[in-house]
Amino acid sequence: MKKSTSMMLGTVSAAAMVLAACGGAEADSKDQVIIYSNADDEAIEVMESTLDDKGYKGKYLIQSFGTSELGGKMMAEGKEIEADVVTMASYFIESAQTSKSMFVDISSDLKPLDGGVTYALPILGNVGSIFINTDVLQQKGLSVPKTIKDFTDPAYKDLVSFPNIMDSSTGWLLVQAIIKEYGEQEGKKVLADLIKNAGPHIESSGSGPIKKVKTGEVAAGFGLRIQAIDAKNEGLPIDYIDPTEGNFTLTESVAVVDKEGDEALAKEIAKVIVTEARGGLLEQYPVALYEGEQVKTEHVPAHLKKWDTTLTVDLLEKHQAFFKEAQQ
Amino acid sequence: MLKTNKMMKIIFLPILLFFLFFLIVPLLYMFWQSIKIGNIITIQNYLDALKNIEIRRSFFNSFKVSFAASVFTTILAFLLVYAIHFTTMHRHTKKLVHIGITLPMLLPTITYGFVLIYTFGNQGILTKLIGQPLFTVYGYNGLVIGYVLYTLPVAFILMQNSMQYIDKRFLLVSMLMHDRPLRRFYHTVFRPMLGTIGGAFILTFILSFTDFGIPASVGGNYRVIATELYQAMLGSIVHFERGAVISVLMLVPAVIGVVMLTILERFNFQYKQAGQSELVKHRLRDGLFTAYSIVCVVVVFIIFSTMFIVPFTKGYPYNFSFTLEHVQNVLSEQDLTKVYANSLIVAVLTAVLGVAITFLSALLNARTPLKGRKSLDLASMITNTVPGMVLGLSYLFFFNGSSLKGTFLIIIACNIVHFFTTPYLMAKNSLQKMDPTWEVTAELLRDSWLKTVIRIILPNIRPTIYQMFSYYFLNAMVTVSGVIFLVSTKTMLVSTRIKELQHFAKYTDIFVLSIFILCTNLIVKLGCDYITTHKEKVKEMSK
Repeated sequence: MKKSTSMMLGTVSAAAMVLAACGGAEADSKDQVIIYSNADDEAIEVMESTLDDKGYKGKYLIQSFGTSELGGKMMAEGKEIEADVVTMASYFIESAQTSKSMFVDISSDLKPLDGGVTYALPILGNVGSIFINTDVLQQKGLSVPKTIKDFTDPAYKDLVSFPNIMDSSTGWLLVQAIIKEYGEQEGKKVLADLIKNAGPHIESSGSGPIKKVKTGEVAAGFGLRIQAIDAKNEGLPIDYIDPTEGNFTLTESVAVVDKEGDEALAKEIAKVIVTEARGGLLEQYPVALYEGEQVKTEHVPAHLKKWDTTLTVDLLEKHQAFFKEAQQ
Repeated sequence: MLKTNKMMKIIFLPILLFFLFFLIVPLLYMFWQSIKIGNIITIQNYLDALKNIEIRRSFFNSFKVSFAASVFTTILAFLLVYAIHFTTMHRHTKKLVHIGITLPMLLPTITYGFVLIYTFGNQGILTKLIGQPLFTVYGYNGLVIGYVLYTLPVAFILMQNSMQYIDKRFLLVSMLMHDRPLRRFYHTVFRPMLGTIGGAFILTFILSFTDFGIPASVGGNYRVIATELYQAMLGSIVHFERGAVISVLMLVPAVIGVVMLTILERFNFQYKQAGQSELVKHRLRDGLFTAYSIVCVVVVFIIFSTMFIVPFTKGYPYNFSFTLEHVQNVLSEQDLTKVYANSLIVAVLTAVLGVAITFLSALLNARTPLKGRKSLDLASMITNTVPGMVLGLSYLFFFNGSSLKGTFLIIIACNIVHFFTTPYLMAKNSLQKMDPTWEVTAELLRDSWLKTVIRIILPNIRPTIYQMFSYYFLNAMVTVSGVIFLVSTKTMLVSTRIKELQHFAKYTDIFVLSIFILCTNLIVKLGCDYITTHKEKVKEMSK
C-alpha cells in the first residue's frame, strides 16, 4: 500500500518538475528559429530541404498557416508574434509593416525586379489558372472550358472547386480576374453563379481545388497553375487551361520579425531561403522575381496579367466584401 | 465530528487559487472585453454582433443542426440501451454494442468529418459501392451525422448508467396486472427514465452546439457559431470584440441547459434497491432489437473503416493496392513524432495533475467540514457550462503577453478545467458512498487526517481514480476546441495538427495520426479498465 502511495506522490511531483522544465525551456529558445509560413507544402518542402542541406537542420521549425490565419495573427500580435521569420503574401507583409512596423531591415545586394522594400525579399510568385480532370469531364459529358465564366454553366453544378478569398490568397487571384474582365456589376453576377455551382467545394486552402480535381471529387477547379502542371507530369488525367480572363499573379516574401536585436540566426535563415532555396522555388513557381532569372517556356502562361494598383490588405478587404455580396 | 485542520486549509488554498486564476478571472476578463470599446463601457459590441446577419444565421444554423442531431441521438441511444437492458438479446451482441458505440470517443471530432468525406463523398467508399453519392455530405447532412456519432457514446453511457438502476420487478407486476404493452413500457421504463432522457438530450445538444472539430472538417459553406468564432479570432481580419461577444453568446444555451438539467433532476427516480428478475423471452422483440443494434454498430464500423483503408492504399481512389509507404512517410517525419510526443506529455500531465486536483477537491467537499468547500461544487457547475472553445479563448485574452502564452502549462490547465466536472462527480460520488465515520475513528486513534486519507480513503477509491485518469487522458488526447487557440509551434498537439494538415488536404496523414491517437487511447483505456475490473474481482473473491 505504502509503495503505491509513494509512487503516486512521486508521479505528481515528477509531473510538476517536468512542467516547470517546460516553462523554463520556453524562456530561452533562441537557438531555434521559428518560421511561420502560409506557403503550400511543395514550397515548404523546398525550403526545408535547402535549409537542411545548408546545415540548419534542427535550428529551425516551420509552422504552417492558412494565409488568413497568419495574416490575422500578424495584424493582431505584431512584434509579439511567436515567429522569428515569416514567409507570407507580400501585400500582407507590407501592410503589417505599415501598421505595426514589426520587421527589421534585411536589404542586400539582391535585385528584385519590382524594386522591392528593405524589410522583405520576394521568394516566389503565384500564377492562377484553371485546370480540369479530363476523365471526369468526359464521364460527365462536359465540354472543355476556356474561361472562368464557363464554370457558371449549370452543367458544372457541384463539379467545380475554387479557393475562398476569405481565407486564401489564391482565391484572390480568381476574384481579381473576374473583376478586371467583367467589371463590378457583371462580375458580381459571374461570381454569384460560380459560388452557386461550386456549392460545398469552395476551399479554404489554395491547394484545396487541385486535390479535389485530382481525386475526381470535382471535374474542374481554379488554383495555382504549377500544381496542375505537376499533376499532369505525374501522369494523372489533369490538364491546365489559361483562362482568357487572365492568369493573375502575386508574390510571397520573407521577412524577419523585430526581436530587439536577437535576430542574427533568423536573418541568416531568411537569406538562405532567398538565395539558396530560390532555385528550387523557381522551378515550382516559375515566375521570375530577380534580375537575370529565366523561366521555361511551357511555364509561361498565355494570359499573364497583374492588378494595376499595388495589392494591399485594404484592397483585399474591398474584394472580400465584393465576394460576400456575391455570396448573398 | 471531524474538525477542520490545518492540512485541509493548506490543500484548499492552492485549489481555490487555481480556479480563480484559470477559470473565474479569464472568463470575467473576456466578458469585460466584450462590453468595452476603447475605454468606454457599452453594449454596442452586442448590438453590432446581433445586427450582423452572418452571426445571426450561424447562431440559428447551430441551433437547428444541434437540435436535429440531439433528437436523433437521444432516440438512437435510448433504443440501444433498451436493447441491452430489456431484451434477451445475446450477451455477445450486448458487449459488441457497448464497444462499437463508444469506440468513436477515442478519436478527435475533427477526424469524424474527414472520415465522413471518405465514406459518403463523391469518391467515398460507400459511393464507390453504390455508384453515386447518397447525399451531399458537406454542410447540414455531414454535421448531423458527425454530431450523432460524436454524442451517441455520451448519451448511451448516460442512459445505460441510469437504466441499470431500474427495478425490473415492476415489469413483472405490470405483466401480472395485464397492462397493455405501451402502458407497461411507459410506466416501468419510460417514466423512470424521463429525467435521464431529458438530460441526455440537453447534453448532446450542448456538445453539438459548441463543438468545433466537426464543422471545421465537414461544415462546407454551412456556417455555425463555432466556425464564426474561429474566424473572428483567427481570420484574415481579426475582430477581438466580436470574438468575445460570440463567446458570451455561446454561453447562453449552455447555461440554460444546465438550469434545465437541474430542473430535470426532480424527475429522476431513486430505487432503494434495483431488483433483478428474469426477462421473459419474446422472439420478435429480441430479433428486432438485435437487428437494430447490429445495424447501428455496423454503420459506425463502416464509417470509421475508411480511416484504416485510405492510409494503406497506394493512391486512393485510383490505386487500391496495399502499401505501408504513407505510414512510413509519416513516421519518418521528425516533426510528426515530436507532435505525438507533445500530445502524450500533455495527456499524461493533464491526467495526473487533473486527478490530483479533482480528487482533492472532491475529498475536501465530500469528507471535510471545511468552510467554503461548497465553492468547489460551484466550480464544477461552471466548468460544466463553459464550452472548450470559450475557455480557450478566454485564456488567449487573459494570458496574451504573459510568459504562460504558448506553453504546455496553459494547455494542461485548460484541459484540467475544461474536463473537470465528470471526474469530480465520479470522485465525489464514490467518496460519499464510503463510511462517513472513518476519519472520526482515525482521529480518535490519533492518526493524522492526511494519514487517514492516504491509508484508508485512497486505497478504497482506487478504481475510481483509474477511471478518472482514463477520462482525463482520453479527452486531453482528442480535444480540439479547448486548445485550438492555445497551441504554439513548440506545443503543437496531434489533434490540432490534424486541423493544420487539413489545410493541405493531407488526408492520409490525418488518418495515420488518427490511428495513432486511437491506439494510444485504446491502450490507456483498456489498461485502466483492466486494473479496475481486476481489482474488483479480487475484492469480490476475497469476500
